[in-house]
Amino acid sequence: MSLHRADSLGGRAAIAGIGATEFSKNSGRSELKLAVEAVHAALDDAGLRPQDVDGLVTFTMDTSPEITVAQAAGLGELGFFSRVHYGGGAACATVQQAAMAVATGVAEVVVCYRAFNERSVHRFGSGLAGRAPTAEGVAMGWTMPYGLLTPASWVALAAQRYLHSYGLTPDAFGPVAVADRRHAATNPAAYFYRRPITLAEHHASRWIVEPLRLLDCCQETDGGQALLVTSAERARDLRRPPAVIAAAAQGAGRAQEAMTSFYRDDLTGLPEMGVVARQLWRTSGLTPADIDTAVLYDHFTPFVLMQLEEFGFCGPGEAAAFAADGGLELGGRLPVNTHGGQLGEAYLHGMNGIAEAVRQLRGDSVNQIPGARNVLVTAGTGVPTSGLVLTSDG
Amino acid sequence: MEPDVERAFQEYAGQPAADGGRALDPVNLPMIRHWCEAMGDTDPAYSGPGAVAPPAMLQVWTMAGLGTGGGPAAGGSRSGAYDQLLARLDAAGCTSVVATDCEQRYLRPLRTGERVLFDAVIESVSAEKSTALGTGRFVTTRMDLRAYDEARGEKPEEATPAATHRFRILKYRPARSGDQRSQPPQDRPSQPRPRTPGPRPRPVINRDNAGFWEGVAAGELRFQRCDDCGTARFPWLPGCNSCGSAHWTARVAQGAGTVYSRVVVHHPLPAAFGRPYAVALVELAEGVRIVSNVVGVEPDEVRIGMPVRLSFERADEELTLPLFRPAGADAPQPLPELRVPVSRTLIVAGAIATRDFQDVHHDPELARAKGSPDVFMNILTTNGLVGRYVTDWAGPGAVIDGIAIRLGVPAYPGDELRFSGEARPDDSGQMTVSVIGRTDRGSHVTATVTLTPAATTPAATTPAATTPAATAPAAPPTADRTAPGSRS
Repeated sequence: MSLHRADSLGGRAAIAGIGATEFSKNSGRSELKLAVEAVHAALDDAGLRPQDVDGLVTFTMDTSPEITVAQAAGLGELGFFSRVHYGGGAACATVQQAAMAVATGVAEVVVCYRAFNERSVHRFGSGLAGRAPTAEGVAMGWTMPYGLLTPASWVALAAQRYLHSYGLTPDAFGPVAVADRRHAATNPAAYFYRRPITLAEHHASRWIVEPLRLLDCCQETDGGQALLVTSAERARDLRRPPAVIAAAAQGAGRAQEAMTSFYRDDLTGLPEMGVVARQLWRTSGLTPADIDTAVLYDHFTPFVLMQLEEFGFCGPGEAAAFAADGGLELGGRLPVNTHGGQLGEAYLHGMNGIAEAVRQLRGDSVNQIPGARNVLVTAGTGVPTSGLVLTSDG
Repeated sequence: MEPDVERAFQEYAGQPAADGGRALDPVNLPMIRHWCEAMGDTDPAYSGPGAVAPPAMLQVWTMAGLGTGGGPAAGGSRSGAYDQLLARLDAAGCTSVVATDCEQRYLRPLRTGERVLFDAVIESVSAEKSTALGTGRFVTTRMDLRAYDEARGEKPEEATPAATHRFRILKYRPARSGDQRSQPPQDRPSQPRPRTPGPRPRPVINRDNAGFWEGVAAGELRFQRCDDCGTARFPWLPGCNSCGSAHWTARVAQGAGTVYSRVVVHHPLPAAFGRPYAVALVELAEGVRIVSNVVGVEPDEVRIGMPVRLSFERADEELTLPLFRPAGADAPQPLPELRVPVSRTLIVAGAIATRDFQDVHHDPELARAKGSPDVFMNILTTNGLVGRYVTDWAGPGAVIDGIAIRLGVPAYPGDELRFSGEARPDDSGQMTVSVIGRTDRGSHVTATVTLTPAATTPAATTPAATTPAATAPAAPPTADRTAPGSRS
């Protein structure tokens, strides 16, 4: 991609297979096994065999190396393997990596995967205790002695400034949680299946890091998700209708940090997502009005509001009203996270949201938006991030 | 936990914990004197004619005693429901108990010769919680205390309300490595991280930012200024984000700042902090921002836009940090530090003076058998020390209206307990004193004490901040302390 003009990736690759394990609180098996199961499930979905795969992409945070997944999944030689950094910000970028490899002929079939026992083994929310004195460690080290140790705490510090700037209260975040949980309530794969919440329950939930309440924070999940990417042309011959990658982009802002970008601008937006948004619109040729449904990364509710503003679905400071009017729900201006999001379905570092976008284009989501043709998906917020515009074929 | 088991525990809420309790002894000078000796409390109000009981001694009057037979037992008042609840918790494996919170409101002083009566209700039984000690349930009881002047021939029916007392215990299964044996192997790098008491996370220092921490050691908050474009920057980096220049000079901030954003951390709560705390993004007058804590003010009172002032503060033995305090007129008043060496004698004397005969407070062998490294201070002594710390500072005539404490790490023989505090007046003329007592292991106790300063003292809202011992013993008790109506 370029920061200034449309890139040539749009339309050349597609997601042809999706596959996941069950989403649970204790998988009872290794992260590697979860990864292999997810890869196999994506292959089955696409109607391909292990030996058809020649590329793998995952997150730097993943504990299952590409070579080990290949070894255990029955894959053969790999001509392309890559990992993307910055936690959940990597999600859509794994698909971008795969699409670039496919579009350039570097690889033919690339599987992107992410699998972890984030609930039963390594909980991100338990708090940092120390960091090595690398550049990354030092960046994090400016806040650690003062007790800013968890993702919730980093997000909360920006969220509080956002509320202050626009004269809002923490209740502004409630409609995001309510929409996610309402969508999860009808999704049998969701952890919070049949468990919707109300604004009053959001308001009554306990503080985690004020202004974030418990119900502003996503759940923690064990599970794996894989996405199979191949050329749009080849995808048309496979089992399922292709989800064409109309645009894919990464973004980092000026003076960007990973979760602790407190020292730049006015903290009311997500400049890195602005970089992603501009490129997605340029390359896809679409505008916010063209998007039928969106999967907006929702590890914490405030950044869903900021994303609506960065993508131009509404103006700065208007997202709270947008959400409060039911704008995020089925039948609203922009139905968001129809699978229930990471608050409602599962926290799979955003990869399960990409699968939901594919289901919307295939027409088989549990909360199907009738005739959905253009879907926006975003990756982790507060970190260098990425996004996708997926469209139905033809 | 199965729903019906959960419901069975919840159904204890609202049931009596103690019925018709009656103190074993009337309020009396010998017990008060022993208590004052143990706590080191020299307040003159607690001795001589017209003496009152130290407010922080409240729970002592309700204690059951040694219970070796012979005398009447106050503990006979404990309800069947409460005994049944404890037995049920024992049966669930939660055989260990530790007190975690104590919250007392004093409605009037207790005078010598008065007899204390009490009733208690089980306020709540929590869901199962994982704690550093082990998994268990918090049981909260609320006690209402009344008293009548037995010495003057009053009848029990004439008893008038004297205080309320909320008490929380944790009944738990001690965390032991053996508990994991029956479970299948997991990809778990280690056991679940216990909330071990410990110091704050350390700063992360390398060649790029060493100059900042050298500045902190020298009592300076240093930021960088680009030699080429003049842009001030923080955090420290080897190059300028505005122009890319590698040339810079360290500058010293003058210390004035404004809160740009703030959060209050509630969960998870690192042991080093002990209770919810405010983290702020402070914009310095020089135009750079830094993350720090705003201290000396309740966390929920830190506001965006609040003017603050830099203050270098010792977080623990090895770490000094640049923190911030509210600037301006509302700035709270610090209490002088009180250091209390925690000797074996203090622990045992405190336990006996508070009529707490739990073996973990006097018998090292039995304490070790229960997983503790040694005997440790009981909550009633901690409560007494907090009360003493505040009255030492507030001086004669001040009336303690309430003490609420929460325990953190235990205090063992050989520790040194260091109390610090901040007093803030409120609009009603009362003062709220935030107290924290630390040992090298971490925060032992956090407390909030509300008091009404002596009305006759000119500095009613600013008690004399002299050294504690200097004022207390010399002055006679004043009418305020003994007059029930003086609080209004």
